[in-house]
Amino acid sequence: MRSGTHILLVEPETLLRRTVSMTARSLGISQVHEAASTDMALRMVRQRRFQGAVIAVECLGSGGGRRYDLSLIDLLRADEGPDEQAMPIAILADQATPELLAELRERRISRVILKPFRAKVLLETIAGFGGGKAN
Amino acid sequence: MQVAPLSDNEAERLAALHALLILDTPPEERFDKIVQFAAAEFDVPVAVITLLDAERQWFKSSVGTSVCETGRDVSLCSHAILQPDVMLVPDTLLDPRFVDNPLVTGDMNLRFYAGAPLSMPSGLRLGTLCLIDHRPRTLDDMELSILATLRDLVVMELGGAGVDAHA
Repeated sequence: MRSGTHILLVEPETLLRRTVSMTARSLGISQVHEAASTDMALRMVRQRRFQGAVIAVECLGSGGGRRYDLSLIDLLRADEGPDEQAMPIAILADQATPELLAELRERRISRVILKPFRAKVLLETIAGFGGGKAN
Repeated sequence: MQVAPLSDNEAERLAALHALLILDTPPEERFDKIVQFAAAEFDVPVAVITLLDAERQWFKSSVGTSVCETGRDVSLCSHAILQPDVMLVPDTLLDPRFVDNPLVTGDMNLRFYAGAPLSMPSGLRLGTLCLIDHRPRTLDDMELSILATLRDLVVMELGGAGVDAHA
């Protein structure tokens, strides 16, 4: 990805988020916009267009009623025109259940990253969104 | 063993370090979080924030070692603060500066070292954020950049502009 592209990073852990955004800037990979929560990201999506996103999906509810909040992905996909190429979106998740993977496939998710999350993996993912190299 | 020479601004550097009033203070979560993150990110057994006093290097935060300070004469970080960029030593046994260093030959078994100097806005380098492994290895360009970013976050904390303040 080029430094002029704008990537949305939704991740509650401040240190991981900050490390990825600052390193992406220093390497000239992309401009990474940080959101600590889905709510914050929803506000940001209404204000600017992004060329890619890395999103930690939040788990809502508990026990049998437990489900992932995919509303942000749905909003990003809804904003895409019918002839537009799908924006690359990678998901951060604790685990990849068959149910989650099925929901992500429906939403054309390009990559699922499982815990433990490393800054390098996130940066390589962002660099690969445009098919470019990080350095 | 090569002892690192003192920088030309050593007196000024020590004055800046002492003015922080941080030496010999208890552990702090804001620094511990960065060191723990670094150890996990780079999969190293030891990661340390060192501050270089006149005769010793003192560890503000560490993972993987119970040592809280060593003599400055054996300190690899004393070499690291002589340059602005990360000092990378892929294998200490192949580096004549360190091959007979007690930290290399002794219990610490230091084979790999990467130290990012803690350069304050004044340009003075007060210590390092360093990674240590017991086997030879190296870091690629992206990993060097990540280490530099974590170093910048330590410097922000030392300067009072913490990570959370910018969240």
